[in-house]
Amino acid sequence: MSRFDQIEVGEALGPLAVHISRDRSRRYALMAGMDHPRFTDDAGARREGLPGMIVPGNMSAGLLSKLVTDWARAGEGRLTRIGVTYRAPVLPDRTVTLHGFVTQTDSLQRTAELDLWLENEEGERLVIGTATVRFS
Amino acid sequence: MAHFNYDPAVIGRVFEDTEPVVVETQQIRDYCAALGEDDPIYTDQEAARLGPFDTLTAPPSYVLILRTGKDFLGHIPRLANNMMDAGRDLDLLEPVRAGDRLRLVSQIKEIYEKTGRSGPMAFVIVRSTVLNQNQQVVAHIDHHFIQRNR
Repeated sequence: MSRFDQIEVGEALGPLAVHISRDRSRRYALMAGMDHPRFTDDAGARREGLPGMIVPGNMSAGLLSKLVTDWARAGEGRLTRIGVTYRAPVLPDRTVTLHGFVTQTDSLQRTAELDLWLENEEGERLVIGTATVRFS
Repeated sequence: MAHFNYDPAVIGRVFEDTEPVVVETQQIRDYCAALGEDDPIYTDQEAARLGPFDTLTAPPSYVLILRTGKDFLGHIPRLANNMMDAGRDLDLLEPVRAGDRLRLVSQIKEIYEKTGRSGPMAFVIVRSTVLNQNQQVVAHIDHHFIQRNR
């Protein structure tokens, strides 16, 4: 039986805890060409009215994407669509947890639909999303 | 009732078509290191050869760091005094292979408004289409922006 045929609605991805240090967040921002003060230093971020430097939204999207590809790759599935909504800023030097679960499968298309989210230590869902994985 | 005014002719108009940029193997490695991506299929030639694409490819989220044009934000119609980046939708059609030459073609896809608890909000969706050297569409990146008056 292929991996796709074993997937059940409700199956979980993660949870995966990730500590995003200040250095790591800054490194991502610089690598991604997002060298804005809000992503690189606290004083600059405060001048923009933020509590301190924040993690780039694209980094959160990338982490959720990795949660999906790690799950999909084991069964030779391919991520074909992912959508994320930035609901509240993600702050560095904290641990976030990545979550997901299967909401639907389509046996004709051989796809699985997923719900995803990134939450902080208080359980607030700062980034939410959905994704589609296609299996061979 | 419409709370925000804009010229409907902006919808669908391409406002940038960037110069192609080569995706270097080292950039893929740097991206993986910065994100914390540890799957060797993206960094190790041998592991990649055994994967579905037979060659080194970038993680799907790599398209998020492709540079838009310098004046990308300047092309977004301003309908209110505050604008927030609200998220992304990615359609991933082709892998990004090491050595690909990618360019972005961007246009305003959609504008609509909704009224929330904090009042009316305008949603502006900007689509950047990623094309490779074979003119294949690699991905569509929809940038979601929310604007409101504060």
